[in-house]
Amino acid sequence: MQLFLEQMLNGIAIGAIYAMITLGLALVYGILRILHVAHAAVYTVGAYIGLAIFSATHSILLSAAGAMVFCAGLGFLIERFVYFPLLKYPPYVPLIGSIACLLAIEELCRLAAGPYILSFPAQLPFPSFTVGGIVISSTLTAVYCISAGVLALLWFITTRTELGLAMRATSQDMAIASSMGINSHRIISLTFMIGSAVAAIAGILVGIYYNQVYPSMGAVPAYKTLALIVVGGLGSVPGAVLASILLGVGETLLIGYAGIPLPRDALAFIAMIAVLLWRPQGLLGGRG
Amino acid sequence: MDEALLSLREISMHFGGLKALDKVSFDLREGEILGLIGPNGAGKTTCFNTVSGVYRPTSGEIRFRGTRTDGLPPHRMAALGIGRTFQIVRPFPNLTVLENVIVAAGLNCYGKLIPSCRPWKGRKTREEAMEILARVGLDSQAEQKAGLLPLGNLRRLELARALALKPHLLLLDESFSGLRHEEIAQQEELVRKTRESGISILLIEHNMRVAMGLCDRLVVLDHGMKLAEGKPESIRNNPEVIRAYLGKGGSANAS
Amino acid sequence: MSEYSITIGTLIAIQAIVACGLNVIVGYAGQISLGHAAFFGIGAYASALLTTAGGLSFWSALPIVLGITGLIGLFLGLPSLRLREDFLAITTIGINFIVVSVFQYVPFFGGALGIGGIPRIVLFGERIRGVSFLLLSAGFLAITLLICWLFTRSWSGLACFALREDETAASSMGVSPVRFKLTAFILGTAMAGLGGALYAHFMRFISATDFGFPMSVMILSMVVLGGMGTLWGPVLGALVLGILPEVFRPLTDYRMFLYAALLLLMIRFQPGGLLGENSLARQTLSRLKGGKS
Repeated sequence: MQLFLEQMLNGIAIGAIYAMITLGLALVYGILRILHVAHAAVYTVGAYIGLAIFSATHSILLSAAGAMVFCAGLGFLIERFVYFPLLKYPPYVPLIGSIACLLAIEELCRLAAGPYILSFPAQLPFPSFTVGGIVISSTLTAVYCISAGVLALLWFITTRTELGLAMRATSQDMAIASSMGINSHRIISLTFMIGSAVAAIAGILVGIYYNQVYPSMGAVPAYKTLALIVVGGLGSVPGAVLASILLGVGETLLIGYAGIPLPRDALAFIAMIAVLLWRPQGLLGGRG
Repeated sequence: MDEALLSLREISMHFGGLKALDKVSFDLREGEILGLIGPNGAGKTTCFNTVSGVYRPTSGEIRFRGTRTDGLPPHRMAALGIGRTFQIVRPFPNLTVLENVIVAAGLNCYGKLIPSCRPWKGRKTREEAMEILARVGLDSQAEQKAGLLPLGNLRRLELARALALKPHLLLLDESFSGLRHEEIAQQEELVRKTRESGISILLIEHNMRVAMGLCDRLVVLDHGMKLAEGKPESIRNNPEVIRAYLGKGGSANAS
Repeated sequence: MSEYSITIGTLIAIQAIVACGLNVIVGYAGQISLGHAAFFGIGAYASALLTTAGGLSFWSALPIVLGITGLIGLFLGLPSLRLREDFLAITTIGINFIVVSVFQYVPFFGGALGIGGIPRIVLFGERIRGVSFLLLSAGFLAITLLICWLFTRSWSGLACFALREDETAASSMGVSPVRFKLTAFILGTAMAGLGGALYAHFMRFISATDFGFPMSVMILSMVVLGGMGTLWGPVLGALVLGILPEVFRPLTDYRMFLYAALLLLMIRFQPGGLLGENSLARQTLSRLKGGKS
């Protein structure tokens, strides 16, 4: 029972991290209908920049802030120079552009920092607990608190602010939103910047959680998160979060606990196909 | 009365709780131009889509030349001899005008394995397609990409494609909308010629002047139900029809 | 020719066959498939197992291999009838990951070790290797191109073009979407199967990682770069993407980066492909023609 609970807690933490990566993807898909595979590259860059600043200053706050700003800029550049000019082409054209972007950025990271696995020895300023014999480490507490905070903030932005309203209007119909006086291009850029900044936090958290930062750390999340936004219902942000947490828990329990020897990467896709057969619009998808 | 070419019996189509069509019945006789009119949202397009196979009606029966056709998919309808055009034109933009028409000429090859492996670039096929293009006046643009044509020509291209199916019945979905005055006259002329060549026609039309002038008989739909049916003169003076149109803001030009 | 360049040439020919298959699905019929490497792998594993465990010769195994990949292609093409474009794209990625993990984790397929000891192809009593294998692959590529060419000229091909352009209009003209989408899937995946079989007998050792998602991306990039829906596009794409890494080989460390950056630049500035409509090559060609006449 104790093992089960511990696995459960780990699973939720992994799911929460998935959620932070998937969120950016869901936001971008919702607004541009592009499968933004290069998002995983932004997340990798976030981890590297975070680590670099942390090594120099030993301040995790500075490191997070720096990584967020840098990644927001990177997201903006990708949107402006890769996706926007390719919007009028069939969807696989921006998709290939996105995959090329992912490869190029991964390689750039490898060239800049070397092909090694770097450690991220940061101690996060969060307390650890012991409840009924189960230890919740400070890293785990940090993952919970930070991801809950980020998700709440994003929920607030997308549903309760004018920016969120403009984002939703643009994702419904860009032309109409523009004619209503919304600068939809700026909204798109802002969406990318917000999603990318969140990915930076996710990158740093993953780096600390596993104590590993390496060039291809984005390779697996890049495609797994695609499955997650489908399971959640393409473009649905709450759906993406729900799907991420379910996957995190499912993976940890099935592989770590039940010992089923299926590879993690395939699990997300098997779940996706099962969900699609049962609910073709995704868990929380509304659009038919 | 002659045998009906197309007959609808108590056709209903429900979308969730919405009754888009409610027990609509009418017949279309061989050689006739029948117009389907009604205010916006009356169910004309839904009715059309049940006839062309896009929707399977919730209940009711459709017969075409004596065979039951409700619920058959669109490509089977085409094979039975029903050609159609679309309200929002749907050309194959990256194919040439000629190729657009040739697609329809393959109707008898698509269903069988061996014929579908034969080449489509034969001279006979090409000549037949060119002849149809000449009939609608598009032969000079045969080698152009269809995506580059203006709307008026696209409407004629749709007609040409439907004619290349050699249909018994032609369904025209607002084939006049968006056209300029002289283009409307041309299109009317084309529709009349088509009928003279022995093809019966069911059309949806918004422009009352065109519908009244072109159709032998009209069926008026309102709120998914058949409101009236008859010759244009009797429809024009039918008080219920006038009320249905005026009630929607009087956009109809009923005089 | 050095042994090394023969190897590169053979691999390019094999990948061109697989890319031609994808072109049938994506370029001719307009269906998205991001998991084409799965069928490449299925072909390779099927041929490897039939010739090692099954004891068949390459030639008697080949029809079975094509049948198996075509059949699985038909089965996995079924989602394309129901799913929206984006869902289909991601589903095909998923199929790729699932197929690879089945190869990797099911002992029957050799597990993580893969399958080794695959026999050479024997033709006219000769064991095919080196230049002969290159010629054999080129021969199969020529047959594949011939089939593609015949397909574009057949009514089935025209039906696929019509479906790609507008499914609703096509079906109103008697084209059954189910029939012709599946035709394209069967044809395209069988070509991938052919490529796979050749690959297995060329490498003589295969493992699941050869057929992962990156390979699918590579094949799709070949098709898109060369010019989707054109006859020669996939071949050109396979040539360019096959030779580029070799050109960059002296730059060892920067090789993959340059490759990715170049792919990005090409897709950014020539999204219709090198042989597609309005491409530089086409424009130059028509200018030359115009100048001559």
